[in-house]
Amino acid sequence: MAVNLETSVGALSLTNPVMAASGTFGFGPEYGPLVNLGRLGGVAVKGVSPIPWPGNPPPRVWETDAGLLNSIGLQNPGVEVFCRDDLPFLRQAGTRVIVNVIGRTIEEYCQVVSRLESESGIDALELNISCPNVKEGGMTFGQDEEHAAAVTRAVRSCTTRPLWVKLSPNVADPAGIAVAVEAEGADAISAINTVVGMAIDLKHRRPALGGITGGLSGPAIKPIALRIVYQVAQAVHIPIIGMGGIRSADDVAEFLMAGASAVMVGTATFAEPGIMETIIDALPTCLSRLDATSPAELVGAALPGRGSIEEDRRPGDSS
Amino acid sequence: MAGDVGVQDYPIVWKKNVAPDHVELILQAPMLARAVPGQFVHVRTPGTLRRPISFSRIDPESGQVGLLFQVVGEGTAWLSQRSENSLLNIIGPLGRGFPPPKAERPWCLVGGGVGIPPLYAALYAWRHRVTAPISVILGARTADYVIMRQDFAKLVNQPIEVTTDDGSLGSKGTVLGPLARWRSRHPEGQVFACGPTPMLAGVANLLQGMGSVYLALEQRMGCGVGACLACVVLGEGENGPEWRRVCHDGPVFSAEELIWR
Ligand SMILES: Cc1cc2nc3c(=O)[nH]c(=O)nc-3n(C[C@H](O)[C@H](O)[C@H](O)COP(=O)(O)OP(=O)(O)OC[C@H]3O[C@@H](n4cnc5c(N)ncnc54)[C@H](O)[C@@H]3O)c2cc1C
Ligand SMILES: Cc1cc2nc3c(=O)[nH]c(=O)nc-3n(C[C@H](O)[C@H](O)[C@H](O)COP(=O)(O)O)c2cc1C
Ligand code: FES
Repeated sequence: MAVNLETSVGALSLTNPVMAASGTFGFGPEYGPLVNLGRLGGVAVKGVSPIPWPGNPPPRVWETDAGLLNSIGLQNPGVEVFCRDDLPFLRQAGTRVIVNVIGRTIEEYCQVVSRLESESGIDALELNISCPNVKEGGMTFGQDEEHAAAVTRAVRSCTTRPLWVKLSPNVADPAGIAVAVEAEGADAISAINTVVGMAIDLKHRRPALGGITGGLSGPAIKPIALRIVYQVAQAVHIPIIGMGGIRSADDVAEFLMAGASAVMVGTATFAEPGIMETIIDALPTCLSRLDATSPAELVGAALPGRGSIEEDRRPGDSS
Repeated sequence: MAGDVGVQDYPIVWKKNVAPDHVELILQAPMLARAVPGQFVHVRTPGTLRRPISFSRIDPESGQVGLLFQVVGEGTAWLSQRSENSLLNIIGPLGRGFPPPKAERPWCLVGGGVGIPPLYAALYAWRHRVTAPISVILGARTADYVIMRQDFAKLVNQPIEVTTDDGSLGSKGTVLGPLARWRSRHPEGQVFACGPTPMLAGVANLLQGMGSVYLALEQRMGCGVGACLACVVLGEGENGPEWRRVCHDGPVFSAEELIWR
């Protein structure tokens, strides 16, 4: 069976469902010598704000069991420098370009998105709503439905580009947030951002990260990410981009079956820069093994009412 | 010039315990042997992140490079258990190495502990280029940890100055004592240094105002290629302090471009 990896996220078509996750792939050129960008489904660049953000003091990363804590603090050179220095490279990279947008106020998100309107070569915007909202005492925009909806509504009115909203896992009901942003015109949901955590530096008797707490990523969070994708898929009608700990084609298939239409790979690239290409190479065999000829055929396959539940696993029988 | 960065498997051709918990691996790696001293590699070990290690030796003729490291945790312990003929998966050469030293200026190489190896690579590469006197100052906790001393001795005419914290070899104290004396004799000299951060801060402080002082820094890394912004140190920017990436803008910096706090 010939497998076709072409994927669509709403109106946006991708050559395959595997994209680079924001913050782990810089602004594009950094991995140029090691990764063939043209083979990737897309690249989500590091979060971009209206003016440069300095980020947190080091140490900014700390390895944990099966994971990574980071407190980069969204350092970036601001949207002007991004448009001047990075977009020209990205335009000719032969891949879909997703600009991750950050802000401290709703107005700041809108400033970035409005500034990008005059630029070509941007295929989608991804709103990172895990940023602290300075007007709300630092609570993140993604923390409740009201604020998540407000920022989505405001940005929606500034652009007709595909608008993806990236969920934080650090809330009681991510699906509720997803429903709220869908109602305001989000075209897709990215899930998940990192899980808040921390580590202690024994030698120095202090929190390991300069930012005290940080975001956990990598294989350790894959089960959390799958759970959230699975919940969100049952709550919204828009497509989902799944991420969190993906390292293999089988991991991708898990996210597809949980309800994602496409995926992003982040932390795994640090250890294996070629891992996205390896996964893309392995996907046809993986999909064939799962009796699918395209990623789309697997999307949501494990959702209630869709999966082939065997007799001994019917609900109610479980312990 | 610097070789192009790549990711590849390289065989270990030789392995040696050089001090307690210090291992040197020699790799057959022609692509890496084009590196500039001070550059580093990112070595795959089990777990989420790679491990950054500097070149202890770079020999373009034989196509061999050396990695000398101290076993401090799981990653370096795993590396120390690799046997000859096994392969290491490496991204490199990475970062910005030392600039070629000026031929006619007295040159001082200052190494502390496991920061010593990249200075040996620098000396090996440029020993014929520098016509002025070359001095070497090596510091460590105890005599056991003054690594590569014999290697240096083969390449320089002057005696190597050694300092140890406990006085078990050379003079008791830090490298800053001999360095201060060297500076007073050679105010127009050039200095390359690598070692623990407090030592480098001391070197930068001592040599303030002296032009050619280059320091090889360490910082915790994610990607190693400039993409994740993990490995930052504070530098002087055009509009005030700004972060520099050790993996991409360094690991070698001019002392003048850094801010020590
Ligand atoms: C540019 C550069 C060059 C280096 N060159 C050498 C060298 O030639 N020889 C040598 O012995 N050591 C060198 N180091 C330090 C070496 O990278 C660490 O000792 C090593 O990563 C420790 O790994 P581990 O798993 O054994 O220890 P762990 O402490 O268990 O490591 C946990 C995590 O912290 C990181 N980490 C721990 N210590 C350091 C450190 N000092 N610097 C950066 N990251 C650290 C590790 O990479 C890992 O991600 C260099 C570091 C840098 C940044
Ligand atoms: C170092 C680092 C920086 C990140 N920066 C951003 C960012 O700027 N914006 C964002 O939306 N997500 C950011 N993320 C989150 C990732 O895009 C991704 O959602 C998360 O890491 C889970 O995927 P993974 O387990 O494959 O890494 C970052 C993650 C890491 C590890
Ligand atoms: S380690 Fe990622 S930018 Fe330096």
